[in-house]
Amino acid sequence: MQTNFTLAQLADPDTAASNQVLRTCVHCGFCTATCPTFVLLGDELDSPRGRIYLIKDMLESGRPATEEVVRHVDRCLSCLSCMTTCPSGVNYMHLVDHARVRIEQTYRRPWHERGLRALLATVLPRPGLMRAALIGARLARPLAAFIPGRSMPAQRLRALLALAPAHVPSPSAIEGARVHAAIGPRRGRVALLAGCAQQVLDPAINEATIRLLTRLGVEVVVARGAGCCGALTHHMGRHDPAMASARANIEAWCREADGEGLDAVIINASGCGTTVKDYGFMFRTDPLRAQAERVSGLAADITEYLARIGYAPTRAAPGLTVAYHSACSLQHGQQVTAQPKALLRQAGFTVVEPAEGHLCCGSAGTYNMMQPEIAGRLRARKLANLEATRPDVVAAGNIGCLTQLAGGALPVVHSVQLLDWMAGGPAPAALAGVSHD
Amino acid sequence: MTDRLEPADEAALARLVGEAHAEGTPLLVCGNASKLGMLRPVQAARTLSARALSGIGLYSPAELILAAGAGTPLAEVAAAVAAKGQHIIAEPPDFSALLGGGAQTLGGAVAANLSGPRRVAWGAMRDHVMGVRAVNGIGETIHSGGRVLKNVTGLDLCKLLAGSHGTLAVLSEITLKVLPAPERRATLVLRGLAPERAVAALAAALGSPYAVSGAAHLPAAQAARVPALAWLGGAVTLARIEDFASSVAYRSGRLRADLAAFGAAEMLDDAASQVAWAAVRDALPLAAEAGAVWRVSVRPSAGPAVARAVAEAFDAAWFFDWGGGLVWVAGPATEAAHDAVCAAARAAGGTWMLLRAPEALRAAVAVIPPEAPALAAITRRVKAAFDPKGILNPGRMFAGI
Amino acid sequence: MIAQPAPKRDVLARRDSIVAGLRALLPETGVIAEALRLKPYETDGLSAYRQVPLAVVLPETTEQVAAVMAFCHREGVRVVPRGAGTSLSGGALPMEDSVVVGLMRMNRILDIDYADRCAVVQAGVTNIGITQAVQGRGFFYAPDPSSQLACMIGGNVNMNSGGAHCLRYGVTANNLLGLKVVTVEGEVLEIGGAHMDAAGYDWLGLLTGSEGQLVVVTEVTVRILRGPEGARAMLAAFDSNEIAGACVDSIIASGIIPVALEFMDRPAIHACEAFAHAGYPLDAEAMLIIEVEGSVAEQDDLLEKISQICRKFDPISLKISQSAEESLAIWKGRKGAFGAVGRISPDYLCMDGTIPTSRLPEVLRRIGEMSMSYNLQVANIFHAGDGNLHPLIMFDANDPASFEKAEHFGADILRLCVEVGGCLTGEHGVGVEKRDLMGVQFSETELEQMRRVKSAFDPGWLLNPSKVFPLKADAA
Repeated sequence: MQTNFTLAQLADPDTAASNQVLRTCVHCGFCTATCPTFVLLGDELDSPRGRIYLIKDMLESGRPATEEVVRHVDRCLSCLSCMTTCPSGVNYMHLVDHARVRIEQTYRRPWHERGLRALLATVLPRPGLMRAALIGARLARPLAAFIPGRSMPAQRLRALLALAPAHVPSPSAIEGARVHAAIGPRRGRVALLAGCAQQVLDPAINEATIRLLTRLGVEVVVARGAGCCGALTHHMGRHDPAMASARANIEAWCREADGEGLDAVIINASGCGTTVKDYGFMFRTDPLRAQAERVSGLAADITEYLARIGYAPTRAAPGLTVAYHSACSLQHGQQVTAQPKALLRQAGFTVVEPAEGHLCCGSAGTYNMMQPEIAGRLRARKLANLEATRPDVVAAGNIGCLTQLAGGALPVVHSVQLLDWMAGGPAPAALAGVSHD
Repeated sequence: MTDRLEPADEAALARLVGEAHAEGTPLLVCGNASKLGMLRPVQAARTLSARALSGIGLYSPAELILAAGAGTPLAEVAAAVAAKGQHIIAEPPDFSALLGGGAQTLGGAVAANLSGPRRVAWGAMRDHVMGVRAVNGIGETIHSGGRVLKNVTGLDLCKLLAGSHGTLAVLSEITLKVLPAPERRATLVLRGLAPERAVAALAAALGSPYAVSGAAHLPAAQAARVPALAWLGGAVTLARIEDFASSVAYRSGRLRADLAAFGAAEMLDDAASQVAWAAVRDALPLAAEAGAVWRVSVRPSAGPAVARAVAEAFDAAWFFDWGGGLVWVAGPATEAAHDAVCAAARAAGGTWMLLRAPEALRAAVAVIPPEAPALAAITRRVKAAFDPKGILNPGRMFAGI
Repeated sequence: MIAQPAPKRDVLARRDSIVAGLRALLPETGVIAEALRLKPYETDGLSAYRQVPLAVVLPETTEQVAAVMAFCHREGVRVVPRGAGTSLSGGALPMEDSVVVGLMRMNRILDIDYADRCAVVQAGVTNIGITQAVQGRGFFYAPDPSSQLACMIGGNVNMNSGGAHCLRYGVTANNLLGLKVVTVEGEVLEIGGAHMDAAGYDWLGLLTGSEGQLVVVTEVTVRILRGPEGARAMLAAFDSNEIAGACVDSIIASGIIPVALEFMDRPAIHACEAFAHAGYPLDAEAMLIIEVEGSVAEQDDLLEKISQICRKFDPISLKISQSAEESLAIWKGRKGAFGAVGRISPDYLCMDGTIPTSRLPEVLRRIGEMSMSYNLQVANIFHAGDGNLHPLIMFDANDPASFEKAEHFGADILRLCVEVGGCLTGEHGVGVEKRDLMGVQFSETELEQMRRVKSAFDPGWLLNPSKVFPLKADAA
């Protein structure tokens, strides 16, 4: 597609990168069809192609972001379904990330939005704060019914409270930086991104991951100094805190890699995985570039790594049907689609897939808090499609999806919990009510 | 007797129509006049026949196309393509037995857009018209489409002219898509089914993956009129499969198993299939009936209701083609019977065509459904866009147009 | 930039009152009139042509469309219907004084009737959405344009879209039973229904492919067909375009009608392989994708017959797909071909002429010569079974001279198509892109005849202005 940047504009590396993305787009419109917001809202402006056009106009004009651009870019889930669809290979992710930074720099949001975004950006990446906030939200949950009105702030407040789990788990006994030794002869050594929100919302996921890996002979390091991957703030356009988080991780993992060595950096929340795999690009003009690229190269989803080293169940098949929900960050962001299903089948489950598997469930990081109406419609649509497959349990590889889909008619677990269970770990708590062989 | 004009080439045709336009003289437009017994009678002082515009100008089997003058006898076209193992796939019917006319021309078959049993699987006559040349009511020569299979350049006047019964323009040349003729044909015959059951069986056949290319049902009395079917005794429900011999054997076996719930199927071989389907195509089971004949097109599942409604209204003979979607009806040539047919077609959300009746009846009733006012207004304007003085087959489809 | 007729000054002057009038007819989010939000609607799949409209409306029902049409008719406002905006001929290009009627919100499937093998869908349902809705029962909607993932059935009807499988199953016109349309005056008309063949004039046939010149389509009754037991594709690679072309003729002459028969030349093979990783032969000058249907035994039988024919032409390689995944990848490459060219060139113009299949080698040779003289690369994709040729001319839109050259190159190719007995467009439509070339294929008498038909539906020429017909008529 034709672009109109001045040479001065193109001297900025971010603009130059976006120009390249825009030049790749041929405006064919294939992406519209698989975009969740276009399917729901039926407006070009809420499609990837429309947003690309709005972003192009914003960047070319050099003007500050306007309310219209912000409204439509904010509605983007960053599910990246468009990137799977795009025949031309347009890197929409980098373009929209750039747009979000530009918006954050040039647009002043209403006070309530600024407050909420600051709150989320502060709380979510910090497990201690997050746990406290969840307990508070749980206590306040009954109040949700008394928040009146259809205004965006009211909707968001209700959504925040509704998302708080009824039960806030206690911190895991294995939380914190340490080395989990391999059981038996050591055949590998990996770092685990312990994450931030996930270890508060569902510590069982990291426990299952570590149990399974160590039982397979892999030493698991939760590196000192590593923490939130930076995705949450990155997607809010908060460049500096995102880079700070990423930098801490890169340095921590490179220390480990240079020390005892690392075969991989394991990520079991695919939303984080997409960002870690993009560190190389994020630091493309930074002195840390080589290290960032190294970390991105090491990054692997837990299912990618398991498929690489081999997995075998030790228990008899439980006779359960698993509806595999493909998290957007995994299927679109990282193009990891076959491994999770293959592993679950290997583990002895019958695996089914819902219709419209390419559509986002509405979780999308903080999206379900910022855009509750659209997120709610996507959730309902996803649950209906999942229920239509008549499974015993839903499995997914991302904590955001697990939280979003919980509370429906079906138990929802992380894929790794099922794999761990069949390899000798405990049955996932969510399956307590499900009868199995 | 009316004056009869038979231009020898397209230029002469254009000149004659131009003169008629200048004089405002109505023309009865035809080829071999084989279908004058259908639709509304035309009041015209002169008859303009395209029969002399005859001959195959282009036939390229590898490109699946044939172009011929509109007056070329259809039989000549059929023979030419058959010699190369191809056929006109829409299976246009021959109504000489039904209407008592002569052999039809290619132009007549296209102008009437009448399709045979293969309509359900391979489309209508108009779906295989790639291009036409024609002379409009002003005497101007126009072409639409061309000699290639895919063409969306400009408005598709081919389709508009196909089925316009010579009321918009006089066809002078037609380019048809032709296709390889099947190596073998076979027909499954289910016996003794009531109409609803028969249509259900045909729906199952057409909804199967075995490429059924004909789906008809004849009650006992009509089946008895077809030599290839009479020996079976009773009502027959027919499903045709055509392809390479090995495929026909395989698919007819599978289809027979799939339709087992409707009874054990007999099989007609290639020769018997050809006879049976030609009879269905040409409405031979009704040709010997006295009185009027209608063609009613409805959604297939509504076919039995139409048959029941007409049978209750008068002494009707009928049979189904197109899986129940085409109901052939014969009955008394009265306005009452016609009204009953129209009511049945309308109730089923479909259309009708009074195909055979004495001239008086055809002049008195709506031989095809009247259009809603907004659409009728468009019809008048489109007619005027081609034939501003209304000289081409006036009143053939709608009174006053 | 293509010439456009002057906007109506009186309409532009009444912009605010027109927008207010539209707002009174539609839900709050159904009218877009702010300059910045109108911008993404300035173009469609042919982004070289752009014009911001006066307003965009997004109706949700036929009644709303009718209300908008009646209003615009009263106000003398031009209307541009739009579906998914995937037209490659600029079919949805707005004019400055026009209201774009976007049908994307009308995306519901209203009825599926398996017994009568038809479905009623709103105009904004995607082409593939129909197949997805019925494939659970083994049915499908046959026309499959490459943009089928995104393009909408209303647009398919207006462009009479084809696809790779139309050799066997026909184009859109051959797969329709009925339409619900809105006239320029705002009248709702029902054309056809669930039955076959009109008794009166074939409005269905005329409206199909009429490029928004005659009516606005809001609902479509399509035929749905039971799918075959299975289908399998094979790839045949050859040393030259001539040999591949001769092989196509030989297959057709043998009496076999494959369900699809697609041709790609070397640049197209390379671009598509980079996108789809389908194992296309990168060492070939030309490649055929041939697909057959039926039971496994029938497929084997047909593929063997076709392989025997191909072998007579010394293929570089013959590869029969061994799995559904492999077939899917083969088709993914072909269907993403246009976009995939975006990987090797920032911009392209996609031509869409049709030629008699026997002239393919000659036409490709002459396109090659033009490519040299224009110094622009071209990739050729060809529906070999039906003669529809898609040369993709690569250029750089940031270089105005390059675009102008590409336009001339494209026009030369289309003239060549007509010269050898073909036509300007096989499935993309005339749109705005080929409007001024219509005189190459039609006489002024013929164009006048078509204009009179247009006037019969749209006497004031308000519908989808400045498309299809060379410009002079619009000025009237």
